[in-house]
Amino acid sequence: MVALKQDALLAQMRKGTLQYCVLALLADEERYGFDLVRALAETDGMVTSEGTIYPLLSRLRRDGLVETTWRESTAGPPRRYYRLTRGGRAALEGFIGEWGRFRHAVDHFVERKAG
Amino acid sequence: MSTTPDKLVERYLKHLDVELDDLPRDRRREILDEIAGHITEARAGLEHESEADVRNILEGLGDPAEIAVDARERFDVQPAASAPPYKPGWMEVGALVLLLAGAVILPIFGWLIGVVLLWLSNAWNVRDKVIGTLFVPGGLGVPIAVMVLATSGGGGSCIGPITQVTTDGTRVQRTQQATQCVEDAGTPYLAIAGVAILLVTPIITTAYLAYRLRRHPAPANA
Repeated sequence: MVALKQDALLAQMRKGTLQYCVLALLADEERYGFDLVRALAETDGMVTSEGTIYPLLSRLRRDGLVETTWRESTAGPPRRYYRLTRGGRAALEGFIGEWGRFRHAVDHFVERKAG
Repeated sequence: MSTTPDKLVERYLKHLDVELDDLPRDRRREILDEIAGHITEARAGLEHESEADVRNILEGLGDPAEIAVDARERFDVQPAASAPPYKPGWMEVGALVLLLAGAVILPIFGWLIGVVLLWLSNAWNVRDKVIGTLFVPGGLGVPIAVMVLATSGGGGSCIGPITQVTTDGTRVQRTQQATQCVEDAGTPYLAIAGVAILLVTPIITTAYLAYRLRRHPAPANA
């Protein structure tokens, strides 16, 4: 029962932070969907179902945090490229500050116990 | 190259399309297009594509139902799961049979019971239910009643309500009606077309409702 709750908590944390990981990946360069998924999948434990990235991207686009452009691809059909908007960058920077404080606070209690 | 991987992809996307049914159309299209693009990219990166490779790509994307749950949460769409769970059964079958032929079995009431079952069932959305109710009230009962009245209406050239009016009309009116009957007899095509439409429409509606029933996927592995 406790393990189940912990799984659910981790799933929620992953879900909540995923959008900022996506925004961070787009901070320096524009990327297309498959490329983004590949980059996220390189880090273990961040994405369990790759397909869930796409509803997220669609949502970010509608919230104005990213914008998209179609570009021809050398191999295959054109790709939709995502890049940060000004609003997206502000959201990312805001999160980075909050996340630092949050992580620090949790570490403060948890690591004392572990050490 | 075998066609099996293409079939797998097609089935996956179709399943996803069904699962995303609750989302606004533009969002559903966007997500479907992007995931189809993802599959294309992933397959293009393979040197020698095997069925196992394609299965791995699809598994990496995740269960369509899981993606749909995530998408509904992202877009704050009330999940269909908040409604009582869908179970196809006697209610749906009863609704389909009675809407189509209920009025033949038990005039008027047979069809009405079909409507009640249609609206009680949670297998259809409101739009489907409205369609089922409006096309056509009485189901096959109406065209069959019209045909019975038409053939029992003496000369056979008078159709439906006209014969009824003549029976309780005065002598003069009866003559006028009789004249009208002769005039109508000159162009029976319109009446035949009307009856044909009344016959075909409820059949199409029933087929549509049955199709919508099939679009609900059976709960996976449950």
